[in-house]
Parts: sequence; structure tokens; C-alpha cells
Amino acid sequence: MEKDFDQMNYYEILDVKPSASTAEIRSAYNEALQIYQPESLVSYSFFSREERNKILSLLEKAYLTLINEVQRDKYDTETNLKGSSGSAEKDAIIKKEPMNIFEINRQAFNSVARKNHTAELKTKISQSQLIKEILSRQEIKGADLKAIRNELGVDIETIHKETKIRLECLICIEADDREKLPAAVFLKGFVKAYLKSLCIESADVISALYMSSITTQKLT
Amino acid sequence: MAHIWPIGGGKGGSGKSFLASSMGHLLAKSGKKTLLIDLDLGAANLHTMVDVPYPEKCFSDFVCKKIPDLEDIVLQTPFSNLFLISGAHDNLDIANLQYEKKIKTLRAIAKLNYDYIILDLGAGTAFNTLDFFLASRNGIFITTPEPTSIENVYRLIRAIYLRRIRHFFSTNDFKALEKKVREHLGDDSFYKPEHIVSVIKKYFPEKYELIKKDFSFFRFKLILNQLRKQDNPLLGEQICKVIKKHLGISVEFAGNIAYDEHVHDAICQRVSFLERYPHTHAANDLRVLNRKMSNAFGEQLMLNYI
Repeated sequence: MEKDFDQMNYYEILDVKPSASTAEIRSAYNEALQIYQPESLVSYSFFSREERNKILSLLEKAYLTLINEVQRDKYDTETNLKGSSGSAEKDAIIKKEPMNIFEINRQAFNSVARKNHTAELKTKISQSQLIKEILSRQEIKGADLKAIRNELGVDIETIHKETKIRLECLICIEADDREKLPAAVFLKGFVKAYLKSLCIESADVISALYMSSITTQKLT
Repeated sequence: MAHIWPIGGGKGGSGKSFLASSMGHLLAKSGKKTLLIDLDLGAANLHTMVDVPYPEKCFSDFVCKKIPDLEDIVLQTPFSNLFLISGAHDNLDIANLQYEKKIKTLRAIAKLNYDYIILDLGAGTAFNTLDFFLASRNGIFITTPEPTSIENVYRLIRAIYLRRIRHFFSTNDFKALEKKVREHLGDDSFYKPEHIVSVIKKYFPEKYELIKKDFSFFRFKLILNQLRKQDNPLLGEQICKVIKKHLGISVEFAGNIAYDEHVHDAICQRVSFLERYPHTHAANDLRVLNRKMSNAFGEQLMLNYI
């Protein structure tokens, strides 16, 4: 009786407010996937295969648009929806409220969204020229890591969540801020985890390269 | 007028009779005069759940006019305040209840003087089941967290939706509508009520408003039965979300009932589960549900049959 799914705007599709933060959008997408993915018990037999595929592709389009700040702003102006991301959200990242440990739904995070995410990253890696070029270099720096991450469209917060490495630490690594870098013992593991969370296959080799570049730089 | 709670589930074995008897026990215990009616025509066994192994009178007697008054086939159960209309010795062709008899039954039910009347319906989506379910605006759907059961509950909800839409059209109008739906969505259109509604919205806007208003009065509830520890406890909420978003019907999630081996034991011993095992998770869930539901239902309206 309400609007058809394909007539809803992206916010309605994901069931979020137009003022939602990136984190909220991401968790809404995860929730939606739990409902609509083909193996889901919730919507079992409710949709035909074509309907389900249509819904899933719409969801993905909505998600990919809304998590990208530039595209989101563009979409908002096009559709006349107010309350874009912008500065309010950046504040929100820093001002984190303490969270009840029992509310963290670990299962949800490791779910299918994750699987899809991995596959998506892998295809992006294989398609990107920039990443290939960076990975074939003999010297890898923090800035290169950042370039790979940006190319894949993953934000630093996601990496922080997955690797459980402190956000400040990640920022230092990316900025090549040598004063504040963690000790070498930790650094190598951190870079490896960082690369793994981006699904870079040769994480071992690359992190070794990074370490050698960093140490030679320190000596000079 | 009595509060009427029809309980339907689409699939057999999802716990309709168990829920009906348990709710009956709880309501009776809280001092409400409660009547259970076994409308699982042709596969009745509610009498076994409330310990009336040899019912003397049954629903068939009323249908065959052997006993003219529905009130006279009501049986006492061993529990105070709890009454039963049994289907134990129904004629073997009772499942094919004719339309006039069904309407007659519904009218008779509306006149009964009880605080609560619980209708235990059969599996499947036969017109009889749908019409009994639509007797009240307070229908309760029950399902288990298994694909088979969920598949059938969705079918039941869609069938009920369509049956209710059908009420608003004369036979000819409905045929015209059917033709329009086929034109629009192709011959292989799934005959899904949500598609039909989108066509109604376009071509019969006044009817659409009526249907929309009608459905806004319904207070459907969903209960998830036999939830095991490893099952997703949010499943019920998510099902209601899908129904709301894609069918436009609001179904409120009433709660989960934990899976419990003791239910099987209690049925085998033919005793009330709630009395035999009052301190189990499932019993607790039932009490919470009962408390929640007896407060949640507002005005009671019997549809079209008075």
C-alpha cells in the first residue's frame, strides 16, 4: 500500500533518516542485507528471484551513493533532500559515546555484508591500475597505503573497526608522521593487518617493503 | 462483546493449538470467561490439549442443526472459566463447510457471551480458514523460525490480504480488476496482492482509500514459536518489517516463545503445560505474551457478520 521499493529514495530504501551518519548508514545496510540476501530466512519465499535481485542492486546503489560524501551531496541536491553528511558527522566520529559492550553485535558485523564487501574489494583491486602500479613499486610509504585505501573507497574508520588498531595510530602511519609512529615491532604487524583488511593478497611482502623503506628513511 | 482472537499459521505443527490452549488457560486463570473454539475443521484436536478426551457434543451438531444453539454445544473443561467447542467427532466432510453455514457460524459466534473467544484455525489457506481469521481485527499469526513455516505464513498473510480486498468488489468488478492486473503486469503476474493494490490505486482510487482505511483498523500480531537458542531473536521484528515495507500491512511482533522439550512431554501426558512446567522459559514467554496482548488489543469489532 505504500510506495513501491523502486520509487523510494535512497534513505527510505535503507530505512535511515536523511541526516544519518556514515556509520548509521553502514549498519542499516548490514541490517538490510540480513533481510534481503538470498540465504536469508526472513524474506524466504517472499520475493521472486528477479524481485530479490532488483532489491539487492537498489540497496547496493543506495549504500554506495550514501557512504560517498561527494556523491551523497550530489544526490541530496538532485533530489532536494536536506541534511547531508558534512561537518556534523566528522564531529561525531571524534565525540564517541561509551557503548555498552553487550550491545555490540559481533555476528552482524561478520555476516554476509562482510563477504560481499570482500568480493567487491577484490574485484576493485584487480581492476585498478593505480593499485597495481603502487604494489609493483620497490618502496612503499604511508601515503601509498592511503592512496590504495582511497582508491578502494574504504574509510579509515572501517579499518580501525576491523583491525582494532587505534585511529590515531592509523592516521600517523598514513601521514608518515615518523615522530609518532609506533615501535617497529608493532608497526610491521599493523601495516600487515591494514593491508589484509583491504584484501591485498601480498600483505606480507608489501609490509616487509614498507618496513625497509621506513628504516632506510630513518637512517638517512 | 467478546474479544475474539483468531490464531492462524499457515503451516501445520507451528503451535496454533498449543498457543490457543495456553492463552485460554492464562486468560481463564486471570478470571476471564474464556471460550476456545476448535475451527481446525477436519483435523481437530484442541480437546486433547485441554483434557476433554471424550467430548459429548461437537461443532458438527451445530452445523447439522442437531443442536440449534451454538451456546448449547459449549463444553466444560476441568479448568474453571475455560470452555470449549470441540471438533472431535465432526463429520468427516466438515472440512468443506458451505458458505451459508460458515456465515451462520460466524453470526452465532458474535452473539456468544464470553470475555474472550479464541479461534484455533487449521493449516492452509482454504477460504474457511481465511474467513474465520478475518472474523476479528485481532488475528494472531504464529510461525516457527524455519523456512517452510515462514513460507506458509507469508502465503497466509497474502491470502488474507487478497480475501479482504475481494470484499470491496462485486464479482464483475473483480473480474475487470483481474483483467487489468494481467494487462499491466503480464499474464505470469504472480497474483500478489501488492501488485493488485498498485493497480487499484491507479484505477479505483476511491476503493483504494476505503481499503487503506479498512486495513488501518486491523491489529494483526505475529508470534514466533519454538525459538531455539541459536536462532536469531530479531527474526520476528524483521519479518514484520518486510511485511510492512512490501505489503503495506502493519503486523505487530508480539514476541518469541522459546523452544522447550517439555511442551512435548506435557502434550504426551495430556496435561496443561503451564501447570505442569510453570518455571520453564517457554511458560514464562507465554505469560509475558498474554499480559502484553490482553492490554494491547483495543476496541473489538466483528466484521460484517452482525
